[in-house]
Amino acid sequence: MGCRTATLPPPDASNEPAIIGMDEQLLQARAGVPQALAALVRAHQRSVYSLALRMLGTRDLAEDLTQEVFMEMTDNLTSMQSSEHLTFWLRRVTTHRAIDQLRRRARIEITSLDEETQHSGGQGTGGPAISAAEKLDPVWHRHLRLLLAELTPDARAVVLLRYQEDLDPMEIAHTLGMSINTVKSHLKRSLEFMRRRLNVAADTRREDHST
Amino acid sequence: MNEFDDKPSSGDEQLESQLRDALRAVAPSEAFSEALLARLASERTRRTGRYSGWWLPASLAAAVLVAVGAVEHLKAAHEREMGLEARREVIEALRVTNQKLDLAYQAVRTQSTSLSEGDPGA
Repeated sequence: MGCRTATLPPPDASNEPAIIGMDEQLLQARAGVPQALAALVRAHQRSVYSLALRMLGTRDLAEDLTQEVFMEMTDNLTSMQSSEHLTFWLRRVTTHRAIDQLRRRARIEITSLDEETQHSGGQGTGGPAISAAEKLDPVWHRHLRLLLAELTPDARAVVLLRYQEDLDPMEIAHTLGMSINTVKSHLKRSLEFMRRRLNVAADTRREDHST
Repeated sequence: MNEFDDKPSSGDEQLESQLRDALRAVAPSEAFSEALLARLASERTRRTGRYSGWWLPASLAAAVLVAVGAVEHLKAAHEREMGLEARREVIEALRVTNQKLDLAYQAVRTQSTSLSEGDPGA
């Protein structure tokens, strides 16, 4: 992965003039209106925090990174050309910072999934954090997230951007500064790895139930 | 895995669906959220205050430096000009002196020639 800089090009810089499409909230935040800045943070904190949490594995590290990213965002608000650019910037900076941290750490800590599940139980703003499916099978989903923590930092970022942020491979490539083929390769290998491990887990479960 | 593989399978689609459910975004705690907003607000105020407190003295200092620099530059230019003028005057004085010496030399030479012509025994 290339340079990890805070000053990044807008995703669609060639398509539209800078100011067109910028929403009022961003304009007000740029002008220094505190309520607008707070609204921007609230609108994006779930995404940033979740990326940080699942990349880094612990709540403390995730909160530190979230704070760092939003501090940097306020310093760079004037360079944000649209709300889409802001979203792109936040994802990019969060994933790059997290990957840098993981590379510096000799060994990653596996997410305390009880902490995440307990923590996501409606304390935050903006709706229910646990899906109905997870309420039905939280153990299975915890297992999936544990498998995610076993992926390399780059692969983990790719999987998170794909399945948490719902980006397509082209958008992921743009966000992470990778080629589209690298993104597809990460996705394919990660899914194969997870499927293999899940099959083993499912077999174990069946054996446990039968005994 | 329809868009990444040539042969999609129901197993891939099921796994992708499970991943989407498992990786749904979670919100940070309300306490963290409030602390973050407070920190951002105070940092912004501090930076704004720091900027407004700094820029006036900094501008004044810069203006004084520019003025001092300009005065020094003008002074140096004036001194250089005075030096050149003095040099020109010295050269002019030397030239005039040289002319006078030439004239005196010519006069002495003319006088000595006429004296030798008027004294046949010499």
